[in-house]
Amino acid sequence: MKRCSFFALASVFLLSVLCVCSPSQAANTIKVGIVDTYTGPATTFTNDVLDGFKLAVQKINASGGILGKKIEFTTRDEKFKPDIGLAMAKELVLKEKVDILMGTINSATTLAISDFVRKEKIPFFVTFAKSDKIVAEKGHRYIFNMNENTEMAGRAAAIALAKKPYVKYWIAGDDYEYGHAIAEGVWNNLKKLKPSVQKVGETWWKVGEADFTPYITQILAAKPDFIIVATGGSGMVNFQKAARATGLSQKVPFYQHTATELSVLAPQGQNAPEGVFGTANYFFYYPDTAQNRAFVADFKKAYNRNPRIGALYGYMTAQFIAEGYKKAGKIDKEKFVTALEGMTLDSPVGKLEIRKCDHQLLLPMYFGVTKKDAKYEFLIASGIETIEGKDYVPSCEEVLKHRKQ
Amino acid sequence: MESIFGFVSPKILSQILVGLSRTVILFIVSSGLSLILGVLRIPNVAHGSLYMIGAFMAYTVSHLFGGGNMGFWMALVLAPLGVAVVSFAAERSLFQFLYEREHLMLLLLTFALSLVFGDLVKMVWGGEYRSVPVPSVFQGYINLFGGLPFPVYSFFLLVIGPVIAILLWLLTNKTKIGKISRAAAVDREMVGAVGINVSWIFATVFIIGCFLAGLGGVLVAPTVSVTLGMDHTLIMEAFLIVIMGGLGNVWGALLGSLIFGLTQSLGILVWPQFGIVFPYLAVVVVLLFRPTGLLRSTW
Repeated sequence: MKRCSFFALASVFLLSVLCVCSPSQAANTIKVGIVDTYTGPATTFTNDVLDGFKLAVQKINASGGILGKKIEFTTRDEKFKPDIGLAMAKELVLKEKVDILMGTINSATTLAISDFVRKEKIPFFVTFAKSDKIVAEKGHRYIFNMNENTEMAGRAAAIALAKKPYVKYWIAGDDYEYGHAIAEGVWNNLKKLKPSVQKVGETWWKVGEADFTPYITQILAAKPDFIIVATGGSGMVNFQKAARATGLSQKVPFYQHTATELSVLAPQGQNAPEGVFGTANYFFYYPDTAQNRAFVADFKKAYNRNPRIGALYGYMTAQFIAEGYKKAGKIDKEKFVTALEGMTLDSPVGKLEIRKCDHQLLLPMYFGVTKKDAKYEFLIASGIETIEGKDYVPSCEEVLKHRKQ
Repeated sequence: MESIFGFVSPKILSQILVGLSRTVILFIVSSGLSLILGVLRIPNVAHGSLYMIGAFMAYTVSHLFGGGNMGFWMALVLAPLGVAVVSFAAERSLFQFLYEREHLMLLLLTFALSLVFGDLVKMVWGGEYRSVPVPSVFQGYINLFGGLPFPVYSFFLLVIGPVIAILLWLLTNKTKIGKISRAAAVDREMVGAVGINVSWIFATVFIIGCFLAGLGGVLVAPTVSVTLGMDHTLIMEAFLIVIMGGLGNVWGALLGSLIFGLTQSLGILVWPQFGIVFPYLAVVVVLLFRPTGLLRSTW
């Protein structure tokens, strides 16, 4: 029995190796494999990415596809587990023979897949994962980051916060990689821009912490001027609710990356706290340009809800894929990658460029503060300051020096 | 800040109150778990999922009645009943055939059920974050001891907790069904031999236990964002509390919840970075010295 199963395994392995080595068939479609988390609290974000992507794909396919080929896509749920995500990515490439990979909201999975696609030379578009290692330490030719990373978000926030009069800062957040990365991104850059700021203390709570009252009372007792709150996911809403319940938002101003996003403010309705500072890459109501209005209308018609940042990531990824092949002129991986470098496309938030040196998409960042608005059932960002992508992205030298050559 | 009673600082007292309000939620959920474990001998991993379903149902009911005060009170009544209905369906279709099976099998079964419930919640409510607003009577905060804010809703929890505890005590000690359940927990064969329909007793206890899980979910909903994944965080804590307190012992669940809630909130004062370690350290210490739990277990 044992020898039999070993033999079976060996022949399966041999066959799959042969399949990989055979030349890729000239399919009639361009296949995109999406690995993402569709289980648990992250689902609210990843559904946006998928819907935005689907919307663009429908449009592209309706107008003839890319070089006569239609875009086909398939999704795999990694359940926020890197080992599952990597296995799914391998299955998509080796068995489903996808041309392009896309995903994921989990940075650990993204980095694992990045190593894999580097060897397999499959273009990989990152949506939502925010680790700065994606383009820096672990960056390479085949990876494209379609969203901001923690270092960029930190810089943008620091640019805005350095103009404010606060001096004594407290840093608090979720005790995991994302929380620490955001906090460090903001703090290190703020200290560079405004050396007079002081860190009076730090608090870290477990990811998924639901009861912030004990931490908030501790922070209030230290009387800082401002708090940098590094929460992610459902921690955003939990913290804002606790801030309102304890009156923190009226006592000490604080900042969270994505505090002003619809995904955080909409569930709370009129009960969200006012006066919270936040950075975000997309609002459906700002900028009020024809492009944005058209995108919002299309999305609403298709999905009966307002688009959020994930939708923009998915939508633009599809557009760039289409344009990349069109510019390359043929279905050739290497020409496709080269065509994308430095490409600029129109988008609902203006012209977006994929930077040539590190394949980072340069999105504008909006720094604003939450405020009630009679037109909407939820709070929106007000006093919006736009920070252009090129102003808050680390320079090419800084990014590339992290890469081992 | 000056000390109260001459020696306890106001910061410590306010942290104790914060810990106690967390204790209330933990107690309500884990007492249900303990009841089911003690009487039915079922380690109900799906308890966390029922807690999550309670929170989502609270969102739906609250929205049906327009959010706000009316919405909350209706949710408080209707959502736990909804969870009770779900658990009744599960009990009649699955559990009633499996009471004689061994614990590992039941553990696996309830674990599978928790996965199924998790996906059902995703199908019914979708992946979005939901929020149940705090009713306006409980909004805002009180300044304790000069300057430390304590949410009014937490005071509400501090009042409701003992009420539920007393009601549970009355149920298990003073009602006929309570006495029969306690007997069934000790010796189910004898109870059956005396002519009582053990199957219906088990169903009733199961539904009451799950009702408590749903109630915990409704009570916690205004303070957190209602999301998928709520079940996993809570079930771990609930099981540890039940093990710490003594399997099947509802007062053990109370003691365990007190230890859990207080060590966490006071631990934050001592070592903020590692505040979450203290409850688990307490579990280790308790189990080292009393492996069967603090109070007498019914097994």
